[in-house]
Amino acid sequence: MSRRVAIIGVGWYGFKPSIPDLSFREMMFEASMRAAEAAGVDLRKDVDAFVSSQEDYWEGIAISDEFAPEPIGGVLRPTFTVAGDGLQGLAQAYMLIKTGYFDVVLVESHAKPSDILSLDKIYELALDPVNIRPLSPSNPLFTAGLDAVAYMSRTGLEREDLAFIAVKNRVQGLRNPRASYAAKISLEEVLEAEAYIYPMTRYEVAGFTDAAITVILASEDVARRFTDNPVWVSGVGWSTETGTGALAWHEWGRMKSMRMAADMAYRTAGVKPSQIDLAEVEDRFSFMEPLTLEEARLAPEGGAAKMAREGVFSPDGSLPVNPSGGSLAMGVALEATGLARLLEAYLQLVGAAGPHQVEATRALVASWRGPPTYTSMAVVLESEDAL
Amino acid sequence: MSWWKENVASRIRHYPGSMEVEKYVYTPGVHGLEQAKALKEGKILGSKCGDTIYVPPLTLCPDHKPGELVEVKGPWRVVTYTVITETMDGRKLEKPEVIAVVKPDDAEGGLIHRVESDQVYIGMEVEPVFKPEAERKGTIDDILYFKPK
Repeated sequence: MSRRVAIIGVGWYGFKPSIPDLSFREMMFEASMRAAEAAGVDLRKDVDAFVSSQEDYWEGIAISDEFAPEPIGGVLRPTFTVAGDGLQGLAQAYMLIKTGYFDVVLVESHAKPSDILSLDKIYELALDPVNIRPLSPSNPLFTAGLDAVAYMSRTGLEREDLAFIAVKNRVQGLRNPRASYAAKISLEEVLEAEAYIYPMTRYEVAGFTDAAITVILASEDVARRFTDNPVWVSGVGWSTETGTGALAWHEWGRMKSMRMAADMAYRTAGVKPSQIDLAEVEDRFSFMEPLTLEEARLAPEGGAAKMAREGVFSPDGSLPVNPSGGSLAMGVALEATGLARLLEAYLQLVGAAGPHQVEATRALVASWRGPPTYTSMAVVLESEDAL
Repeated sequence: MSWWKENVASRIRHYPGSMEVEKYVYTPGVHGLEQAKALKEGKILGSKCGDTIYVPPLTLCPDHKPGELVEVKGPWRVVTYTVITETMDGRKLEKPEVIAVVKPDDAEGGLIHRVESDQVYIGMEVEPVFKPEAERKGTIDDILYFKPK
């Protein structure tokens, strides 16, 4: 376990609600070409293995893993897909390098929701076919409302505590060129908006975005050959609860899988939550940001919303949270959402975030594939200055 | 792949397609078949794992052994709820849909179902309203909704 793992380059393409001109494969290529340039690697010569995170239904192609290798440089090389969030793919790449058999591993994930003409129907197909689908709920995202109400009830939060998260993130996103859904909105506007999925309005539910992200990882000794500014993947963690097929496992208003994933990431990194000075975490629904921070032990039970309103999580606060604007400002990039959070944390740690740069050396990156699933991923990233 | 990018909207083309997904049978399994039979009889089952009953029945208990199916009778209470007023693509619903997690007092977990009330709250006591026996098919919508008791 002594072999450290570094990010030596990241590339991205898109982050627009719609990219009409390029296919998803071309978007994968664009992101990978940029990552290769950033890392100074030749994709066809220097990369030992390739991981792509994607799901058939999002691609509209059965067995879509066959479409993964070409655009990322992985034809006739060790390539596999992970049917999950990009951070789950990153965890696989981390382990490949830890084995000692692989020195440079590429991780890619992408999303082109603008190609999916019936996104709601695909979400519907994720609901349990026996216990839930026959009820035909008019909006398959309803389980987020169930969790939000239970979370508010347990912690005593008010609607405006959640609305504030939407204001914070959408306004913070105005400084991020990738945040297509950023907006100058006020708390009053959010609270007065028509209901959508109670207790949340449309402002508190993220839109969708087309994006591709490629991350190139390397073992410590090899990383030094490619870059003077590595970011260390110090710890990874993931945990799967259940989908809607076994809901008796789920405690409404909690994210047990997030607690487990974050604890695993801290443990593998040898880092305490109190040492984290930046968080890029899941916020595709407003309640998810404070709940994630609490489950990841970055805020006391029920205390995250208050800390947010006190400015602790603002870009100039002691623990900036989603200075990128998060998913609320950047949009949900389906399985690439976790890598979007990672991309933003990486840019912060190398000092390349531009107008939304904050001071940080040690980040928690966390993503949740939900609803209606309950899988969480967490990664601890450290800059050279943290060590 | 190309270094060139098309930037004129009228020259961008799409290939329309569809993924055939609606024709599928879901095998209920031994466990599911018992649940279906019970629903037709107007009963709701849970699985007993040690001293704890889980609703809906877990396929496997936390110790990874199959549980014993038992009927649960309530009283049922609302664990959490939400109200949907719009579809994902922005169509306003004629009538908001109240969806809740409802749970018998003596069990863990809870069913997701509709609640017929515009005054729903956590802890509200509710009871299932079944379809007439002849119309039941052994599916979860044999329960029309839960209503306040």
